[in-house]
Amino acid sequence: MKITDAAVWPYPAGDSSVRRLALEARELGFDSIVAIDTPPSTYEGMEILSGILVREGGMKEVMSRVKRAKGTHAVISVQAGDAGFNRAVVGLRGVHILRGIHAADKNGFDHVTAKMAADNRVAIDIDISALIAARGIARQRALQRYRDVMVLENRFAFPLTVSSNARSVLDLRATREISGLLTLLDMDLPVIERALNGVDVVTTPVPSPVRVIP
Amino acid sequence: MTVRPPTLRDRRRYLLVRVDPTGTPVDQKELYYAISDSVTSLFGDVVAAIMVQAVICAEGDRHIVIRCRRGTERELATALSTITACRDTRIALRIIAASGTIESLRERLRQKTSGNAAADGTAETTPAEDVTGDGAPVSPVPPGPAHGDLTFGGKEYLVSNCDGQKVDVIEKGFKNTHRLFLTRSDLEEP
Repeated sequence: MKITDAAVWPYPAGDSSVRRLALEARELGFDSIVAIDTPPSTYEGMEILSGILVREGGMKEVMSRVKRAKGTHAVISVQAGDAGFNRAVVGLRGVHILRGIHAADKNGFDHVTAKMAADNRVAIDIDISALIAARGIARQRALQRYRDVMVLENRFAFPLTVSSNARSVLDLRATREISGLLTLLDMDLPVIERALNGVDVVTTPVPSPVRVIP
Repeated sequence: MTVRPPTLRDRRRYLLVRVDPTGTPVDQKELYYAISDSVTSLFGDVVAAIMVQAVICAEGDRHIVIRCRRGTERELATALSTITACRDTRIALRIIAASGTIESLRERLRQKTSGNAAADGTAETTPAEDVTGDGAPVSPVPPGPAHGDLTFGGKEYLVSNCDGQKVDVIEKGFKNTHRLFLTRSDLEEP
């Protein structure tokens, strides 16, 4: 199992260098991190994966970024939008993670999108910064949305990822603390372990069902 | 009021917590309010009343001991992980250990400190090098234009803490000074 934080923002987007984030993440129990807009590398035994986050521009922009990132081994995440956009994104080959479900439309992630995500092995990201930083109604809404996602996950078994969305080493959390936070979403230990291993699942290529024998 | 016999007292658990970043001055009362706020916000008044959390003492500059009722330590740990600031100062609380007695936590802290010193081969730390104040080994400040000064990204910074590979720096100036979390490798690069 490779425990991965699915999104961190190193300097200059945040206040910590990518190496420092990697160092702290290793101490907190992670094996690798996905650093947005950062080249892939390894530091002190920690694997730093390159990440691309598409946040705006619609489907055309998503297709363009996916095309450009082909062959770079970058983890491509797309910010969720309305139901139509999410279905299109989940159906697009090359997209690894759909993130920001808690901030998307109320009906943005339905059973059809969940089934498509399971079929195409696109992970749904759980952003723990929404549970940590938010208070009151914002946190209640995030908890409600993620609980709804978990109902669909129980039925369709699509991949999950967990991200701290950290812009600083102070935003990172230990794997045990993340487990504690995820139990608030009624997730049990095997599901939490699967979610922490989610990036490895979606980035590993699926073996072709057809094998050519020479 | 007479003191209850030990068998009738509440069972308690103690959590040893490290306050990050190093050198952040934390007032115990303010921290108590921050913890209380996070527990109430996450679990509500009912659980907060059952938990009976309290900040017991500070161990060195960085570590604190927090008390709760036995059986609620998991909830307290979850609530502690949602704390991001203490009176406008950004902090993170890292849970080191949980125990039934404060003494065993102190022993754990002593072992951790001596273990780190032995691992780094710097068990004999001079008082001048001991920036953290908790006896943890501290490496010398990396070279810069002056002692503790360096330039990163075209700006001048002052080294606030240096612990092994980790280097925390604060931007020089009077207003809008930012803190950066770097490593030695970042500073060695041209």
